[in-house]
Amino acid sequence: MSEPLLQLDAIDVSYGDVQVLFGLSLEVREGEVVTLLGSNGAGKTTTLRAISGLRPPRAGEIRYRGRSLATIPAAARADLGISLVPEGRELWPQLTVRENLDLGAYGARARPHAARNLERVFAMFPRLAERSGQLAGSLSGGEQQMCAIGRALMSEPTLLMLDEPSLGLSPLLVDQVMNTISELHAGGMTILLVEQNLRKALQVAQRGTVIETGRVRLEGTSAELAANPEIRAAYLGI
Amino acid sequence: MERFIDLSLSAIMLAGLYATMAYGLGLIYGVLRVVNLAHGGVIMAGAYLGWVLFERWGIDPYLALPLVIVASFGLGILMYRLLVRHLPRGPAGGPASLLLLFGTWLVLRNVAYLLFTGNDQSIRTSYSTASVPFLGTYVSVNRLAVLGVAVILPILLQLLLKKTYTGRAIRAVAQNADSCTLVGVDVERIYALTFGIGTALAGVAGLLSATIFSFNPGFGSGELLKSFVVVVLGGLGSILGVGLAAFILAVVEVFAILVLPSYLTSAVGFVMLVLVLVLRPGGLFGHRVLG
Ligand SMILES: Nc1ncnc2c1ncn2[C@@H]1O[C@H](COP(=O)(O)OP(=O)(O)O)[C@@H](O)[C@H]1O
Ligand SMILES: [Mg+2]
Repeated sequence: MSEPLLQLDAIDVSYGDVQVLFGLSLEVREGEVVTLLGSNGAGKTTTLRAISGLRPPRAGEIRYRGRSLATIPAAARADLGISLVPEGRELWPQLTVRENLDLGAYGARARPHAARNLERVFAMFPRLAERSGQLAGSLSGGEQQMCAIGRALMSEPTLLMLDEPSLGLSPLLVDQVMNTISELHAGGMTILLVEQNLRKALQVAQRGTVIETGRVRLEGTSAELAANPEIRAAYLGI
Repeated sequence: MERFIDLSLSAIMLAGLYATMAYGLGLIYGVLRVVNLAHGGVIMAGAYLGWVLFERWGIDPYLALPLVIVASFGLGILMYRLLVRHLPRGPAGGPASLLLLFGTWLVLRNVAYLLFTGNDQSIRTSYSTASVPFLGTYVSVNRLAVLGVAVILPILLQLLLKKTYTGRAIRAVAQNADSCTLVGVDVERIYALTFGIGTALAGVAGLLSATIFSFNPGFGSGELLKSFVVVVLGGLGSILGVGLAAFILAVVEVFAILVLPSYLTSAVGFVMLVLVLVLRPGGLFGHRVLG
């Protein structure tokens, strides 16, 4: 079997003196959609921040294409094809939609293809094209999420990480976001999806990992997880 | 009427000068959340650099402009790398960074005393007293040139901020730095660059001031305070806000001469500052950050 695209090998991550992740291991193979599940405060966002370099691990190793990321600064990781749609969108509210998207292609690898990728993003989210001159802060929640996903796509990611993209969206928009993820996956993108909406997440993902207070609790294929009595009781309310 | 036109022209020119230095201060604050108390020191350094270049090397102050820009940009980068980078940011880091930057100013000032003594200096070129007729009165050629630079530079800067990747990154860092890191922006580099641009504007303002006013190593304190007034009035939102605020301050100052005894006119700006802080703490034009 080929080497995984992304490999977390027993990472510890802390905020100051407070340790949040404890020997967390995780693998994502090329072309997969993997979902990271867990209740509030379990450490999902922290895991994604560790991968993107914003909060590097104290111990353990993160490997991307088999290479350790330990010496790669966060700002260089977009050029490697790692992209994060952060929790809460984190757009630049006083830049226009267009400026937000353009900056997504800031990296040296993506910049020459900015025009082509902008077209793709606009084709995927026509709403953003209509609003391209508007300040990002004035968009609705759903539009902001599209803008955040669009910005991440502007860097032509190999590995796209999304942190609770359905948070605060209406059911209709949640479905739209999930369809987008499926579409991107069909186009060959590798995706690591953090979700609270377990049912939806297990529909688009092939595999899932459940974490609890910074440790892996359960792992398995989506079907296995969906059938797991513990999960059904704890998260699906069945 | 002539006097009115005279004063108006003075006000416009002063406004350009104030806008240049205030924009530098506001840019640094907007992006780094650091109040650069050394700003006045850099203004003073720019004045002396222009003076040395003119007196010792005979370089015209307007030809010296690029040199002063590069030198004060370099000084800013140096200050950032050696000092500002290590300072705590935001409200929590306020006192520490204020004290250190104030200390930097004192160092700059004392170096200037050592090098140039405390005597008043000024840059007197062959065209310093030349003037051209305008609307029935005469305008100083030099003042027109000062205004020209003070209008062109901020426009160029605005183009940089709006049109280039680097400029957009500067504005984006002011709004959300982590998101910048995620798209590949080296945020530290942007901080250094922004600090350099801010001090370069201070250096230019110093050079331009030196062609109009006399100065000594203590020069720059009034300028720093006026920059504060303009930033508070105009907000960090846009070059237009800063320009308008600078114009308001200059007009009020200049026309205060008509009604107030001269020893009171310099207090006008600070009265305005207090009034704005009390009545409209967000500034006259709102407080969008580098939108
Ligand atoms: N900036 C921070 N400083 C200190 N503790 C934090 C910080 N961010 C998150 N935490 C803590 O780390 C734990 C995991 O948080 P997080 O990764 O955001 O969880 P999740 O995304 O799964 O809800 C929580 O207990 C949270 O309180
Ligand atoms: Mg989270």
